Amino acid sequence: MNSDDTISTDVLIVGAGPAGLSSAIHLADEFQKSGQNRRIMVIEKGNAVGAHILSGAILKTDALKELLSEEEYTNLPFDCEVSSDKTLKLSATGAFALPFHPPVMDNMGNKITSLCQICRYLATLAEARGVEVYAGFAVNEILYENDKVIGVKTIDTGVNYQGEKQKNYQKGTSVLARIVILAEGTRGTLAKQLKSKFDLRKDALPQVYSLGIKELWSVPEGNIKEGAVYHTFGYPLDANEEFGGGFVYGLKDNKVALGFAVGLDYADPSFDTHAAMQVWKQHPSIAKFLKDGTLIEFGAKTIPEGGWNSMPKPYTDNVLIVGDSAGMVAMPALKGVHLAVTAGMCAAKAVSKALLNDDTSEKSLSYYKELIDQSRIYSEMYPYRNFRAVMTQGLYVGGLKFGIQLLTNGACLFTPKLEHDNVASKKVSEYTGVPFKKRFEDKLTFDKKLTFDKVTSVFYSGTHHDEEQPIHLHVNDIEDFSEVNIKQYGTSCQYFCPADVYEAHIDKEGKRSLKIHAENCVHCKTCDIKAPNSAITWMTPYGGDGPQYQNL
Amino acid sequence: MTTIISLMKQVPLPSQMRMGEDGLMDRTKAKSIINVDCSFALEAGLQLKSMMKGAKLIVCSMGPPSFEQSLKTAISMGYDEAYLLSDRRLGGSDTFTTGFALSRMLKHLGFGKGLNEDFIVVAGRQTSDGDTAHVPSQVAENLGIPQATFLENVEFKNSTIIARRIIEGGYQMLKLPIPCTLSFTPTGIPPRRPTLSGAVKARNTQVTVFNTDDIHLEDSQIGLLGSPTIVAKVSSIRSERAPIIMSQGHSGEELVKDLMKNMKSGKNSLEAISKKEAKKVEMPSDSEKVDFRNGASGILTWAEVANGKLSRPSLELLTPAVNLAHSLEEGTKVRTLLIGSNVQELAKELIYHGSDEVIIVDDARLQEYRILLFSSIFAQVIKAYKPEIALFAATTAGRELAPRIGVKTKSGVTADCTALEIGEHRDNKKKIVYAPILESRRPTYGESKLATIIGFVCPQISTARAGTFEVPKRDEEKEGLITPFTPELNEQDFVTEILETHRGEGGLSSLFEADVIVTGGRGALSDDMILIKELASALNTQGVKCEWASSRPVVDLGVCEYARQIGQTGKTVRPKVYIAVGVSGAIQHIVGMKESESIIAINKNAKESIFANADFGIVGEYEDILPALIKEVKNGFVFGLDKDK
Repeated sequence: MNSDDTISTDVLIVGAGPAGLSSAIHLADEFQKSGQNRRIMVIEKGNAVGAHILSGAILKTDALKELLSEEEYTNLPFDCEVSSDKTLKLSATGAFALPFHPPVMDNMGNKITSLCQICRYLATLAEARGVEVYAGFAVNEILYENDKVIGVKTIDTGVNYQGEKQKNYQKGTSVLARIVILAEGTRGTLAKQLKSKFDLRKDALPQVYSLGIKELWSVPEGNIKEGAVYHTFGYPLDANEEFGGGFVYGLKDNKVALGFAVGLDYADPSFDTHAAMQVWKQHPSIAKFLKDGTLIEFGAKTIPEGGWNSMPKPYTDNVLIVGDSAGMVAMPALKGVHLAVTAGMCAAKAVSKALLNDDTSEKSLSYYKELIDQSRIYSEMYPYRNFRAVMTQGLYVGGLKFGIQLLTNGACLFTPKLEHDNVASKKVSEYTGVPFKKRFEDKLTFDKKLTFDKVTSVFYSGTHHDEEQPIHLHVNDIEDFSEVNIKQYGTSCQYFCPADVYEAHIDKEGKRSLKIHAENCVHCKTCDIKAPNSAITWMTPYGGDGPQYQNL
Repeated sequence: MTTIISLMKQVPLPSQMRMGEDGLMDRTKAKSIINVDCSFALEAGLQLKSMMKGAKLIVCSMGPPSFEQSLKTAISMGYDEAYLLSDRRLGGSDTFTTGFALSRMLKHLGFGKGLNEDFIVVAGRQTSDGDTAHVPSQVAENLGIPQATFLENVEFKNSTIIARRIIEGGYQMLKLPIPCTLSFTPTGIPPRRPTLSGAVKARNTQVTVFNTDDIHLEDSQIGLLGSPTIVAKVSSIRSERAPIIMSQGHSGEELVKDLMKNMKSGKNSLEAISKKEAKKVEMPSDSEKVDFRNGASGILTWAEVANGKLSRPSLELLTPAVNLAHSLEEGTKVRTLLIGSNVQELAKELIYHGSDEVIIVDDARLQEYRILLFSSIFAQVIKAYKPEIALFAATTAGRELAPRIGVKTKSGVTADCTALEIGEHRDNKKKIVYAPILESRRPTYGESKLATIIGFVCPQISTARAGTFEVPKRDEEKEGLITPFTPELNEQDFVTEILETHRGEGGLSSLFEADVIVTGGRGALSDDMILIKELASALNTQGVKCEWASSRPVVDLGVCEYARQIGQTGKTVRPKVYIAVGVSGAIQHIVGMKESESIIAINKNAKESIFANADFGIVGEYEDILPALIKEVKNGFVFGLDKDK
């Protein structure tokens, strides 16, 4: 190892999202309290903090209140407070407002915010505490010594498409750390490797995900009230086929945040979440909010929503996993930011104690899990541990069983087993429902005013990738892919990817092949999750590449 | 130990510049990046260091404190030290003043005192928000050192620099001594990514910030006060094109057939714009008219010689030169400076094309253009003839020569103009009308705006975009003077050697002479432009002069050579038929082709702005359309150009 390219730190945090930054902030506080003078580094693959952050977001602020000083909390860049909260059941033409919603889904008093902005703010608070935050650096590799984590290595750059070193080649930097905290967000690349190497999922159910797509609009005055919150379910989703729904939030300055999320456990290989959102926007109850407005930003991310039972063991020797990477999302409210903050604080306490005792072993770090079990992560996730599982049975049966769970603190008979999302996909020949394209054939021409094709949407994500690099989306076995994914599943990736990364190319002889437009990728990781046969592996491209979210 | 000094500017990310509600580009919300050309220069500096035994790398910039962020990026790429000249008083500086201030900072750091120093200045060719390419030349002149601009890559060999310079239709290999200034196009080695260890180093490195007092700059030398040129006004560029006629059909064949029908039935070309009368300078009763020319008179142009022939842009230049002379006092002369070896015959051509007097410097050693010698000769001619206006074609040579001369004459330069007129400038505060004055107009980057730039020091120097003006009618009856001129040549100005000049087929001249240009944009790349080239060659087979070209992104991606780039930073062309394939129609591209007689746009995306600037449009995949079009061309369809024969 070239010593020039190696740096050391006490704690390395991978990912500057809410979990990583909360870990850093609280860790700096804990170190100060216990009189430890230690180095904390945070590295982030986005080209700036917040660039890869996307959330609704209606925030439960309790955790941030605990994390920050009163003054810091007061200065949080919230957009506005929720002023009304309605849940709509949409039919093809109409809408029915539920007269009530389950208390667990109530949002009154919560804040609407852009998580991009919150993270940028948290980064300044971390920096003020002496934490070093480095944006624009990507990692794909965990460093081990004697089978224990000792750090990570940033990726080599200046390598061409074929993997050959170019004149501007730069070897990645090895970062040695006594403790690594993985806060990579949903489907973290390193967390995935770690879970597999140490079998951290052995006692957990499979993790299941939703794909959420968000748009930010500027609309004429009067289209929507500031602080107005609408959640929708029903149309255009089929209650027995897809689980999900949409949201519309009125922001200040006549901005509207809207999003649409669908569980990736659907069976239809031609289902297209991006297109479904465009169909949803055409519904009169949604279109009215956007009338004569303009799209400002677009983004997509996946959400781990398996709940408590799908969480991995979040620690082993020298390493912890926090936030989305560990599946910490409260269902059915679909809220994870406050749990990410809480996880960061729990991790910080455990790490501080471990370093004080000079013991970073798995045993020492099990304190992290103890703290989680005493925190709101447990109290908000455990009672709903079976929610997502019963919902695989459809909205009506699932909804009934969920109702029972509300009375039994989550216990439920006949709970179906969760399975991986990619297993849920059916082959084209075996899918018996009406394919997505058929269901909405009259609604899939996009006018580029209200509705957009994927490439146009991608433009609004600001995504960019250096063309001179190995493609970051690995098709694990090309022949197998051709046989299974293309022939049997109709190249389902062209539909499930919200960013037009995958093109089902048909050449002049009619031969089908896959073309990958990696430059469109918005880092949502749906392909890594949903590709049948786990055929695609999402690796991290060069640091600084990817979307450039400003206010999502 | 050699010091490599990289000059760098931070600019708004072009792709993030969005149209604001007032219709102007909103730069404030755009993220800032290192100017792309400058990032290539940063890499070139790092590459040079790797070829030397130890070199110190420093990076310098001038701008607001927010530029520190980019200077730190340079450190994280491997630079050792960073300097920023930052002062509110520098606001409003033109390129002349910017070059002057940067040079002063380098002198303050101990460079530029003599020719025996051991340093190299590297810089980007031009910035994306200025597009003038002046500053590298001006810094070289201010420091009194040799220069090479528009470089693709360099090598360090036997204590000299071997550089590959892009010229029209090819390249030139140059050998330069040290010290020297080198400017780079974004076509060489792409900038390396910072390393994390570098970023840690950058975090702990202090950027040294100077204000103007620190480097002893007087207020009269900087900002608006020190700038010889100012932006007098900015106006919108209007489109005079009739609405587009779109083709209808369900297949490539049908769409092409419909296009043929449309082109036959309705000629949808550019309306002729009536020529404006030269403005009469009217004197308001309470204003004082100031003629700042101080006896300077006449227009001087440069006749560029390539391969023993006059370059077409130099002939084009005589059109505005003659027009300007007509707008000025009677008897105002158009003089042309012709430098070369055995160029007597060419002098006559210049007269036939409108020049009143050709000043000839005929010297065997001056066969090829060399910046140090040519700029020195120009300065001597300007001193002898005192022209009020000097014009250069904005070729790769003209774009480095004009700013170097502009430093010698202290008059600054307006780059890349598309219109040149005589007007007046009112200073209402001082109640002064400056007249007559040269109004140089140029489109400003990323905006559908035309800026008018004026200068108050003679000669007023402008470069005119190649292809913007027509070549004047040749008239063998016309008479004029041919005057030999013997300049004093300094042996030191021969230090840069030309090792090799390579001018290939295609590129600049054939683009200007083509009747049809087929341009491939980012949306026509999936076959490496094979179909584009096939269409061009099919037309050539039919006896139509046709060339292929590309838009800027395609050149930036390295798919096409820079010489074939159409647009603001490339070439302006006006063929009879312009076929834009997969070109999105960014304003930077439009300004380079909007004067074409007929424009045909082919794009799969109906919303692309190219359709708002074309006469005939086809929405569809170019892979479907072009084969059908090529087939029709092979059957004899030549876009109506057969009528001209």
